[in-house]
Amino acid sequence: MNDMTRPDIDPPYLHPEYRSTRLRSPKEPLLELPPGTLDVPGAYVPRGFARNGENDLTIHGQSLPIGERMVVSGRLVDESGRPIRDSLVEIWQANAAGRYDHPGDRHDAPLDPNFHGLGRTFTDAEGRYRFMTIKPGSYTWQNHPFAWRPQHIHFSLLGNAPIQRLITQMYFPGDPLLDIDPIYNSIPDAAARPRLVAQLALETGVEGVALGYRFDIVLAGAQATPLGI
Amino acid sequence: MAARTPSQTVGPFFHEALRWRDGGQVSFAESGTRVRLSGRVTDGAGEPVGDAMIETWQLSPEGTPPRGNPGDTKPHGFGRVETAKDGTFTIETLLPGGDAPHLDVAIFARGLLKALRTRVYLAGDDAARRDPALAALARSPRVRTLIATATKPGEYRWDVRLQGEGETVFFAL
Repeated sequence: MNDMTRPDIDPPYLHPEYRSTRLRSPKEPLLELPPGTLDVPGAYVPRGFARNGENDLTIHGQSLPIGERMVVSGRLVDESGRPIRDSLVEIWQANAAGRYDHPGDRHDAPLDPNFHGLGRTFTDAEGRYRFMTIKPGSYTWQNHPFAWRPQHIHFSLLGNAPIQRLITQMYFPGDPLLDIDPIYNSIPDAAARPRLVAQLALETGVEGVALGYRFDIVLAGAQATPLGI
Repeated sequence: MAARTPSQTVGPFFHEALRWRDGGQVSFAESGTRVRLSGRVTDGAGEPVGDAMIETWQLSPEGTPPRGNPGDTKPHGFGRVETAKDGTFTIETLLPGGDAPHLDVAIFARGLLKALRTRVYLAGDDAARRDPALAALARSPRVRTLIATATKPGEYRWDVRLQGEGETVFFAL
């Protein structure tokens, strides 16, 4: 059983202020699985799956992309603080003008031929990851009148066990759109929301080149150890 | 205890970032019986969910957790596909081992603030109902939503209803 005194960390499926949840959220009660059912070894992703350069989103054009260059780095750990090693991290984001290089994005903002906004890397033996990129722009969306998403980078974490699988979004400190964003505010515990906000960490950047942000990620505790080698 | 990072939606623009080459063709170190699982995801209005991502994880044909090696080109036992505009998807894999062969499934989409977790059994009704994981559902008609229909040898059909009549059973996590 869940500890009822602990506010839910994850958003509920139905959050009417985020319109798309209304027809996609289950209404029937969710089935409680026997404890540990998904706390088993997960997929082993071979290192070669991320190629050299895929952790630098700024080097895939004829020249540098437009925008504020930044480094985002941090550690991936479980709830007991143990590093999650050799684990796949995938990110995607809009360009500096707030436009995704995606056929479905109709936002009236320019594409940048030097920026596609896709990155992959693996955590190291201490659970650390690092990407070089540019700061994404805000963009308008159809959820409600004058709706704009706060600047964000999407993160996909495979973890080392099915229970650890997480997709989330990283936000930026001081963004005035955070207070009115239905997706960010879908997290029931207001104290848990800032865990999705990166911290400015100048020394993690590159002197004279890129601003540093730190974003640590905590996945569900897992008793499982990774398979493979 | 470190505080867990909350989930957020995958949004509508994940495709190029999360698309894996041959993600819908699950590989294994072992050989086994080829199976093809197809289905369609629909929402509470019965409309297709054309922007979902489905991931599967399963035991190997021998009934053990799939093993991997650093020299592999892709993970073993793990599938990842996106739904087409009409909500359909197909996974080609090997029949998992075990008494009640099944795939663990995670579904991500715009409008899902956290992944939906479920299972699809490639097994008979009785075998699924005997699985201890489904004990709470053993006498419920809803267990049917977790059982794929064999349409011809090696081919299974499994539709996912996110909400409403015939709603698929999803797991609390």
